[in-house]
Amino acid sequence: MLWRKVFRDLKGNKGTYLACMVIMIIAILIFTSFSNVADNLRMSQQNFYQNQNFADGFIEMEALPFGEINKLQKIQGIKQIEGRMVKDVQVWAPDSEESVYLRLVSIDPLEDNPLNGVFLTQGIPLKRDEMKIWLDSKFFEAHNLQLNDEIEIIAGGKKRALTIAGVGQSPEFIYALRTSADVYPDPMTFGIAFVPLEIMEKLFGERAFNNVIFSLKPGVKFDFVKDTLEWELKPYGVKSIFPRADQVSHLLLETELENLETMAQIMPVMFLAIAAMILYISLKRLTEQQRGQIGILKAFGYTRREIIGHYLTYPLIIALGGSIPGGLLGSMLSGYLAQIYQVFFNMPDLSAKFSPRYFFLGIILSLVFSLWAGYQGCKNVLRLEPAQALRPPAPPGGGPIWLEKISFFWNMLTVQGMMAVRNLSRNKGRSIFIFLGIMFCFAMSGFTWSMNDLIQTMLYDQYEKVEVYDIKLSLMLPLDQKDAARELAAFPGVLDVEPMAEIPVTLQKNWLEKDVSILGIPENSQLYIILDNKGRKIPPPKEGLLLSERLAALLEVDIGSKLRIDTPLIDDWSPKELEVTGIIPQYVGMGAYMELNALQQFLGQGPLATSFMLKTAQGTIKPLQEKYRHSPFLAAIEAKDQKLGKMQEMMASYGSTIYLFALISMIIGFAIIYSSSTITLSERSRELASMMVLGMTPREVLSVITFEQWFLAWGAMAAGIPMSKLMLGSMSQALSSDVFTMPVIITPSSYLLAFLVTAASIGIAQLAAARKVTKLSLVEVLKARE
Amino acid sequence: MRAEELCKTYKMGEVTVEALKNASFELYEGELVVVLGPSGSGKSTLLNIIGGMDTATSGRLYYRDTPLHTADSKQLTFYRRNDVGFVFQFYNLMPNLTAYENIALAVQIAQNPLSIEELLEKVGLADRAQHFPSQLSGGEQQRIAIARALVKNPQILLCDEPTGALDFATSIQVLKLLKEFCTAYNKTVIIITHNTAIAQIAHRVFHLKDGRIVKIENNPHPIPPEKVTW
Repeated sequence: MLWRKVFRDLKGNKGTYLACMVIMIIAILIFTSFSNVADNLRMSQQNFYQNQNFADGFIEMEALPFGEINKLQKIQGIKQIEGRMVKDVQVWAPDSEESVYLRLVSIDPLEDNPLNGVFLTQGIPLKRDEMKIWLDSKFFEAHNLQLNDEIEIIAGGKKRALTIAGVGQSPEFIYALRTSADVYPDPMTFGIAFVPLEIMEKLFGERAFNNVIFSLKPGVKFDFVKDTLEWELKPYGVKSIFPRADQVSHLLLETELENLETMAQIMPVMFLAIAAMILYISLKRLTEQQRGQIGILKAFGYTRREIIGHYLTYPLIIALGGSIPGGLLGSMLSGYLAQIYQVFFNMPDLSAKFSPRYFFLGIILSLVFSLWAGYQGCKNVLRLEPAQALRPPAPPGGGPIWLEKISFFWNMLTVQGMMAVRNLSRNKGRSIFIFLGIMFCFAMSGFTWSMNDLIQTMLYDQYEKVEVYDIKLSLMLPLDQKDAARELAAFPGVLDVEPMAEIPVTLQKNWLEKDVSILGIPENSQLYIILDNKGRKIPPPKEGLLLSERLAALLEVDIGSKLRIDTPLIDDWSPKELEVTGIIPQYVGMGAYMELNALQQFLGQGPLATSFMLKTAQGTIKPLQEKYRHSPFLAAIEAKDQKLGKMQEMMASYGSTIYLFALISMIIGFAIIYSSSTITLSERSRELASMMVLGMTPREVLSVITFEQWFLAWGAMAAGIPMSKLMLGSMSQALSSDVFTMPVIITPSSYLLAFLVTAASIGIAQLAAARKVTKLSLVEVLKARE
Repeated sequence: MRAEELCKTYKMGEVTVEALKNASFELYEGELVVVLGPSGSGKSTLLNIIGGMDTATSGRLYYRDTPLHTADSKQLTFYRRNDVGFVFQFYNLMPNLTAYENIALAVQIAQNPLSIEELLEKVGLADRAQHFPSQLSGGEQQRIAIARALVKNPQILLCDEPTGALDFATSIQVLKLLKEFCTAYNKTVIIITHNTAIAQIAHRVFHLKDGRIVKIENNPHPIPPEKVTW
């Protein structure tokens, strides 16, 4: 019989319980889907690494003669070490608008269990002496290729045809980026090809490795072998030596996984806590209201346990109503999320099936939260003795509050205003709840909109204000800047040419070090503009270095600090130092800047440039590509517009997430305001009805409640400003990488939008409450004894 | 005010209850009417309809030629606002407003309110103006409630068992106040009660039974409240 009561009670306040359930659905949806996907990703990653023997360390170098590699095998702690040739080449694709690149990675077809072994998904093994290759599966799919198709590349200045014998995936290129300035893998323009070492020799006419990978014996740390390796390889020109943790693909996958795992824990707890708060307040109200009923039940002889059981069915129903659909939807979403990850991460076994474990964990989690909240909400009334419960509670006392002492403020209020303000302090718990709810709603929408703004700003700043060239030509090897510039300037359609030097270096400050590129920019560059934190143009320094904020933070340096510079381009052993002369914001990439001539002098190798920036008339890129496609000197021709367009396309996918967050914050704001208004209404129906009898319109009566809410809302929104900063700060910390730095700036427009979203959810909730006020039955309410 | 054949039926689940049957009467300025009857006789229903808190199921009701039986909720709100004052058995003061502020709440919406101070003086509570309801006795609360009803300067004052929760001495005080308002300001006061003794102070007495006005009795010589005993 009591079940009927439960359903009728739930129906009587369906708005609040429904809102609570929706929040719970969101919580469990996020929990199941994120946990499920994170688990699957983690598992796939670990299996893949283990099965394919993923290396523990990576060395990039100039040239290591083939024979030398065997000596390194003897270094203590090294389990397996292999030399490779790794070369980026252009694909002969005359029809393509953009340049297409392949990274050729040499493999030994006879090796049984090679490091970074390729997982062959289709095709046949390679032979040492055939011009056949394996392709990475993303590139293969993106270009609609077939096995035995030929793919033409430009290697050593000549066009060469390679036959596709197989398709595979490598643990080294799960997240395949061509340069560190790229943000997303783009299989249309960049792929990996695995080529027998003998064929690489033929293609490039070289007999030396430029890349070494190794694995460590169990228990051996990377740092233990690093110095020995560096020492042994120094004569062959070590560019960089880094552990697996710094390997780009691994690093990005790991960051993504960690984010996902954190989100899977924090977000559901946050939402569940909000749902629990609403439940707590509603149940507290319900049991207070039904004091008399409880007394009667007790008088009948119902035990305490039975009555608690009865009241706990409310949270039970809500928990199940929230977690079961949440879990099911989450399982569906995890399939979809896995598909998104499959677009970016090239790994076998990437899928997410229905996970009974997380489904049930989700149910348990929501049960724990809601039953606990429910119990807390109703325990007080249940402790009463039956006779006591049958008596009405002591009437609420009224009294002056501290705000009244501020007579200037107090005298401004209408009588309704005074009522509202006194009510706030009368029910502190609920006021705090509303305050937190509105603050959260505001902060959450402010921070999401800000992120949207910032991503736009980041891209816009980098490509419209900083890198203002149209085309960038990257060279295979440094060239004398004058000859090359002259030739390029003479090309029809080229309006302006500027040389640039990108020099890979290791910057070191005490024990902190970082591998980056120093960009040498001409003093009066019109094509690469360096901006300070106020957006003013500043020239590249002639003495010393300009660092990006993130780089400076990583190295813990300030203006005036000295940095040790190591570069493979200087053979000299004596340490070189440069002073930090400025720190600038840079959101895409992470760099150090210097004036070009000064950099050339510092290196002492003459006026060399590694790339050229061009300002061109429209339609110049095509003939330019055609002319230089065969050039053995040219590594890449990039049009900025295409790069920007692609980035924006990728960023658009963030857009939907932002709307989702905004919607969630609205739901939360609505749920909190609505539930607190309905509770206030039922609690004070008598007061409100008396006001209507006095002749106040429903609107005037409602104004007491709305005044209360707006009074809190203004304060809460003000408090939401630092909170949104905090949220953005932690988000920025989580998202920022060497590729991408997110500034912690909340734009004014985001505040405005956050205000609108919050105000809208408050408004909608009040509208719903207003309907209840008009339905207040004066006759019945006033008849009842207080 | 004129009522013609007012009927009110309530649907309580399957059962229909006729709370008021064919009530016809007139009310005049400056008169004090007492409505007598046992519980369930329709007293409160009648009062609610007169006060614009409820509408009749059928029949006609005119206030100074304005039809109230066809008025919508907005018109009724303004009728309550400008022309009616209510006093309840259980005071219904706002617990978190002081005595003064409770009265000020009504002033805020009134068209030509009386002076709050004057009224407080009249109900003898000028020194308790800054007290909250929980700091006042029942009689004091009721007097504040009356002051709140009067301050709007309404034409009709409706009192639902105004002395029902009070002791004898306090009741007499309250009745004195009501009578004074009636005669001094030339207003209509209607008091609902099942205490027959109170009827002695009225100009006219309505007797209700089973939803019908069974008798309207004229009292040419009402006695002053202080002479009433029970």
